[in-house]
Amino acid sequence: MPLSWALFASFLLAIAGYLVGRSRAFSAAGPDIRKLHSRPTYHGFLVGLAAFLPAVVVIAIASLLRMSGVIMAEAGPVVGLVALAAAVVGLGWGITRIGVDFHARNTVERIVLGILIFCSLIAIATTAGIVLSLLFETGKFFQIYDWKTFFFGTEWTPRFQGNSQLGILPLLWGTLYISLIALIVSVPIGLFAAIYMSEYASKRVRGIAKPAIEILAGIPTIVYGLFALVTVGPMLRDYFAQPMGWGNSGSSVLTAGLVMGIMLIPFVSSLSDDIINAVPQSLRDGALGLGSTPSETIRKVVLPAALPGVVGAVLLAASRAIGETMIVVLGAGASARMDLNPFEAMTTITVKIVSQLTGDSDFNSPETLVAFALGLTLFVITLVLNVVALYIVRKYREQYE
Amino acid sequence: MYDMNRVENAVSQGDIKISANDVQVYYGDKHAIKDVSVDILDKTVTAFIGPSGCGKSTFLRCINRMNDTIPIARIEGRIALDGEDIYDRRVDPVQLRAKVGMVFQKPNPFPKSIYDNVAYGPRIHGMTRNRADLDQIVEKALRGAALWNEVKDRLHEPGTGLSGGQQQRLCIARAVATEPEVLLMDEPCSALDPIATSQVEELIDQLREKYSVVIVTHSMQQAARVSQKTAFFHLGHLVEYGDTDDIFTKPQDSRTEAYISGRIG
Repeated sequence: MPLSWALFASFLLAIAGYLVGRSRAFSAAGPDIRKLHSRPTYHGFLVGLAAFLPAVVVIAIASLLRMSGVIMAEAGPVVGLVALAAAVVGLGWGITRIGVDFHARNTVERIVLGILIFCSLIAIATTAGIVLSLLFETGKFFQIYDWKTFFFGTEWTPRFQGNSQLGILPLLWGTLYISLIALIVSVPIGLFAAIYMSEYASKRVRGIAKPAIEILAGIPTIVYGLFALVTVGPMLRDYFAQPMGWGNSGSSVLTAGLVMGIMLIPFVSSLSDDIINAVPQSLRDGALGLGSTPSETIRKVVLPAALPGVVGAVLLAASRAIGETMIVVLGAGASARMDLNPFEAMTTITVKIVSQLTGDSDFNSPETLVAFALGLTLFVITLVLNVVALYIVRKYREQYE
Repeated sequence: MYDMNRVENAVSQGDIKISANDVQVYYGDKHAIKDVSVDILDKTVTAFIGPSGCGKSTFLRCINRMNDTIPIARIEGRIALDGEDIYDRRVDPVQLRAKVGMVFQKPNPFPKSIYDNVAYGPRIHGMTRNRADLDQIVEKALRGAALWNEVKDRLHEPGTGLSGGQQQRLCIARAVATEPEVLLMDEPCSALDPIATSQVEELIDQLREKYSVVIVTHSMQQAARVSQKTAFFHLGHLVEYGDTDDIFTKPQDSRTEAYISGRIG
């Protein structure tokens, strides 16, 4: 019996268990339902869980064993039968427990609590797993490649034959340069849009404009990339770069930065909007009551009060910009370069991770393994940004509670 | 103490600071203030009393046009400050509010230092030329709000770190620093404990020397303690207006009597 069928069968068994458990509880109670410690549905749930959980546990353990090679894939039918047997035993156990004094509610609540804890553990364990796998591969990389060349090298020229120059600095430079441009575009526009939305716009305008801005947030980044490739890139080249003699490249840092900035506008504006709205109305009243104009109120009272939160929003936006890939591939190109000219093609860490892992190199060559070192570096950068941002945002929240 | 007040009243009565004629306020479809006409005197504390929702706060907010910030509010009738209609189209509500200061129900110090809170008004109105002037204004305002001795050593700490009563006195100092002519107070003691309340009440009594003070209060005892004139509002109407003593000892209207004796409200 395949495992999915076993799972499905035990689920049906659980539903049947629920119905049986409930009706058994009703009949155990007799005419006075209040004699039951727990309501009949709890008895039903308990019987259902008693049938379903053992089957799930059996299947999960079997899958883990198979992954680590202790049992073979051919053992599937046996495992299915064992799981089903576990479900039947659990069902039987559940039904025998039903009685007037059985604390089914407390037991069900304990089991549910256990499930909740388990789910949170999965989220945490996954993060740890990702970090560990990065660390492991990065360790292998640094065994065969000098870390000083990696962190301080200004050349990025991977070769198939080996003997590559794998310096992170040109990629880091491209990443920071593009992110900086993206922030220069998105922070003022997003912030001013948020100020208009929260302080000036009438309810009706806000009702239309806010969702309209947030539609921008729903566009997949690859679509922004196309926009960069076919519209913004050529436009910047034909109207700015070429006439001014700054270069002939269709893909440039500025293209990617601009488009990424547009992508971040709704992100910055909706976060700042929430933060500005969280500034108590009493502060606005206080400022207006002293004879400030609305704009003085915003500049001198509302924004300073919201500033820590806005800084947090900007840092979150920055960590998104740093991790963005598609817009860079299509907008800024893939040549690793350290240059100040914003009309020049450059590239970022994320783009190079993709191209190193999709190449034909041997997996254990430094040319491939460098992707993990790049990934870990990126992870650390964004982690630091996120931690700082969350710290600032939290500190700001405490101020008004 | 009352007798003393009465003597001073006799001196200053006659200077009408604010006069309202047939004021109507609508919030959307709701007719919140109906036909209110009242003359508020200079250098006097006037108390607005009445049950919740009677319109006393709404009327108070008309006097410095704070209701302008509520989009659905509509005001008819005439309110004049020193004889000039404040709802005239040439009047800028921003300038009006500099002359008619306001203290709110809940202390609302800005998340800035104590000094910057008080200096806020003088700064935005460009009242000073240099730092020394500003220091002087801040000190004067804090002394005026009976807060100077408590905060003089920590002027640059955040105003939000003060106790509730100190925060409210800071807000009064902030309003006083702008040198207003009228001070509106919307239940300034409702968020304070009894000790802080008595400090603020004492302060209100001192403020009367310089300003026309209008105070909205839920507490009739407070109205009796701090005011010389009292106006009783009920369901949007100004039911009775007169000397505080008269309102509390021999009310003319049966509704006033019912309210002050605790039968309605």
